[in-house]
Amino acid sequence: MSAAIFGLELRFRARAVASAALGLVALTALVGSLYPSLGDSIADVEIPKEIGDFIGGSDLATIQGWLRAEIMAVYGPVVFAVIAITSATATTAGEEEGHVFALVLAKPVPRRRLLLAKAAAIALLLGALSVAVLVGLRIAVAIAGGGVATAQLAAASLHLLAFGLAVGALALALGAGTGQRGLAAGVAAGITLVMYLVNGIAPVSDATSWLRYLTLFHYYEGGDPIANGIDAAGLAVLVLVTTLLLAVAVAAFERRDLRG
Amino acid sequence: MSPGPALVAQRLSKDYGSGRGLFELDLEVRSGEILGFLGPNGAGKSTTMRLLLGLIRPTSGSARMLGLDIARDGLAVRRRVGYLAGDFGLYPQLTGAAALRYLARLQGGVAPVRIAELADRFAADLDRPVRELSSGNRQKLGLIQAFMHDPELMILDEPITGLDPLVQRSFHDLLGEVRDAGRTVLLSSHTLSEVDRVADRVAILRAGRLVVVDELARLRAQAVRRWEVELADSPAIDDIRRLPGVHETELDGRRLRIAFEGPVDAIVKALARHEVLDIRVHEGDLEEVFLRYYRGDER
Repeated sequence: MSAAIFGLELRFRARAVASAALGLVALTALVGSLYPSLGDSIADVEIPKEIGDFIGGSDLATIQGWLRAEIMAVYGPVVFAVIAITSATATTAGEEEGHVFALVLAKPVPRRRLLLAKAAAIALLLGALSVAVLVGLRIAVAIAGGGVATAQLAAASLHLLAFGLAVGALALALGAGTGQRGLAAGVAAGITLVMYLVNGIAPVSDATSWLRYLTLFHYYEGGDPIANGIDAAGLAVLVLVTTLLLAVAVAAFERRDLRG
Repeated sequence: MSPGPALVAQRLSKDYGSGRGLFELDLEVRSGEILGFLGPNGAGKSTTMRLLLGLIRPTSGSARMLGLDIARDGLAVRRRVGYLAGDFGLYPQLTGAAALRYLARLQGGVAPVRIAELADRFAADLDRPVRELSSGNRQKLGLIQAFMHDPELMILDEPITGLDPLVQRSFHDLLGEVRDAGRTVLLSSHTLSEVDRVADRVAILRAGRLVVVDELARLRAQAVRRWEVELADSPAIDDIRRLPGVHETELDGRRLRIAFEGPVDAIVKALARHEVLDIRVHEGDLEEVFLRYYRGDER
């Protein structure tokens, strides 16, 4: 039963994830190929440190800094968040609004099992997407003339995956908890955006810099995995948040009346 | 030993506020019967069914189906029940066959030949994607998934919606077979003629409350009957007019029209005092009885 739910979920989302993966590989490779010409000249441009930090680090002269700013700071998280939010809300609130749950949950299917099988499928797809990121980064570094170990690239991809899982779990909790797709997707996207802005702006002042600890972005990129490798504490926080949000999703879904 | 009731609801309630919902439903569906579930829109028919399937939770009260408590043994209950929701969706991108295969796996396994057989009886096209199907053809998929595991108890919410008359007949034949096999059906409908055709008993809900559960024949006996009697002479009809249950009498020459409810016997005996040439009996209008219950002006 779980296998059927898991399989169907993969089938529905595979195409969107495959095109996102191809896009990620292509764009990352392109960014890598631009580094030899652009990276050097941009390094000469004077960028205030705060702005540099906001766009993902000011050391554009290194290949790590270049990839961090171009791929890992914005484009990667956006793709992961969009895929995670659209998938997690479509498979919960979307199916509920489409009155599919009226048939599915009248079968002998525990709600917990339905939700966890769907979550597992989305996690696997995000995992595939993070492999695509790794492939793209590897190609980019090769084109740019090397300089970053695969272990660091893998660490960066893994952090991106953990970030995507946490955002997905947030969207799943909202979708399963409310049964309203538009609301769930909007709130999940809004929270993610606010966290992004807070993480970027908070460090500007000492008085507000602690606020960044409230954002997923801090645990995703605070340890700078593409330069320093895996940040175990950051990853642990993301995994913990994911687990807690999944528990919330299951608890809310099991207690709730289905809509419509 | 006769089997216990297939379904027992006890003070089952779902309060949505401002008077909407279902209130203290006490209902028993006997094993092997088809119980028609009638009532105007918003009376609580779908709410009752959704409560029974565990899609929504009762505010208070309880229900047992096939001897199992729906709250405690919901999964075991749903294994043995077939449900057709009044408003359901299916994955639009799947073909009918793929959607049914999926639901069959969730049900715990169904022989593919059984699905094919039902598709044949309903003339359902399983090869087209659900999104291309008309509402009637989609409804057929809903029926197939409700019947495919030969459930002991079927809960069907407005099952004939959108079906053409031929498919309606196949469906009613199938219901007959279900009953003959000793299985039980709770079927909601707007259509009195459908319930009249298939149901043994009916339950009528109004504004979330059960107003009557009875056999159709006994409800029909409450209907106002209309007779046209041709007499050999023009009689004095005061004695007939004064009989209990007589609503109207109208004498047109030698033709007497009587509208009455209740026992026939007194009318026949009063008429027998005259020379009767002919009697035309108009079938008791069941619809009138139902509308009376719907409106709440039953005696």
